Amino acid sequence: MNKEQFLHALQQSLSKLSEEERNDILHDFKEHFDVGTSEGKTEEEIAQSLGSPGQIAKELMATYYLEKVNSSSSTSNIFKAVWAVIGLGFFNIVIVLGPFIGLVAVLVSGWASGGAFAISPVLYLLNILIEPASFSLFSLFFTIGLTGLGILLLVGMFYATRFITKLFVRYLHYNVNLVKGGMKG
Amino acid sequence: MNIQFKKGALELCVLVLLNKQDHYGYELVQRISDQIAISEGSVYPLLRRLKKEGYLTTYLQESTEGPSRKYYQLTDMGRIHMHSLMKEWHHFAAGVQSILKEGGQDE
Repeated sequence: MNKEQFLHALQQSLSKLSEEERNDILHDFKEHFDVGTSEGKTEEEIAQSLGSPGQIAKELMATYYLEKVNSSSSTSNIFKAVWAVIGLGFFNIVIVLGPFIGLVAVLVSGWASGGAFAISPVLYLLNILIEPASFSLFSLFFTIGLTGLGILLLVGMFYATRFITKLFVRYLHYNVNLVKGGMKG
Repeated sequence: MNIQFKKGALELCVLVLLNKQDHYGYELVQRISDQIAISEGSVYPLLRRLKKEGYLTTYLQESTEGPSRKYYQLTDMGRIHMHSLMKEWHHFAAGVQSILKEGGQDE
């Protein structure tokens, strides 16, 4: 095999590469032949030492494919990252907003019923003014009892709100750390 | 000899030779093939891979006879890579050596 045949065979096996890269490779081997012949070797001897152009092409193509996998896996990494961000956003809606709404509902209903209980005698008296016939001593004492319960409930809600708020803030911090931790991976 | 094994050794040889001084392709191939029996052509795919991985750079330099030649130069990253490969190689070679010694005692 002479220089021409060697380069032609190599070129044939590298058809999948870009022209620029292929020419660069061929240039390297041309240089190798040129230096070799200038040192007194024949083209055949040089081709013999180089080995099969098919084998050389195989090794070159292996690098090419490996590179392709690497670049595509980095693209998929980007997709993974984007998906992770979207996923985390959704995760936050479910994990943070859900409990938040639940807790707010509990607190609001607690405060509302506490308040309603506390002012129930007032409401009862208003009712009597509108409909005097509905007055009963039992109901009056019952509403007074409710007032006590309502005041207790309001005091309880005050502490409960403080406690739950603190807890929720801590949960939020934990969640943010979780999100940050997830992004690191 | 196992091809992967040979390739690993070849990579180390290329890095060590370039650590000493820059070489152009032909020169580098001859330096190696003087010592080890290889298909000389396989050095070029290796050089391209090492360049893509950032371990080598190339530059063109005029030669006294004929056209300019492509020289290969080791990068800092390549030097670090060489040192870690050398460490691995010594570890590997020492392991093989001690096993060979044990086997030799029985014969």
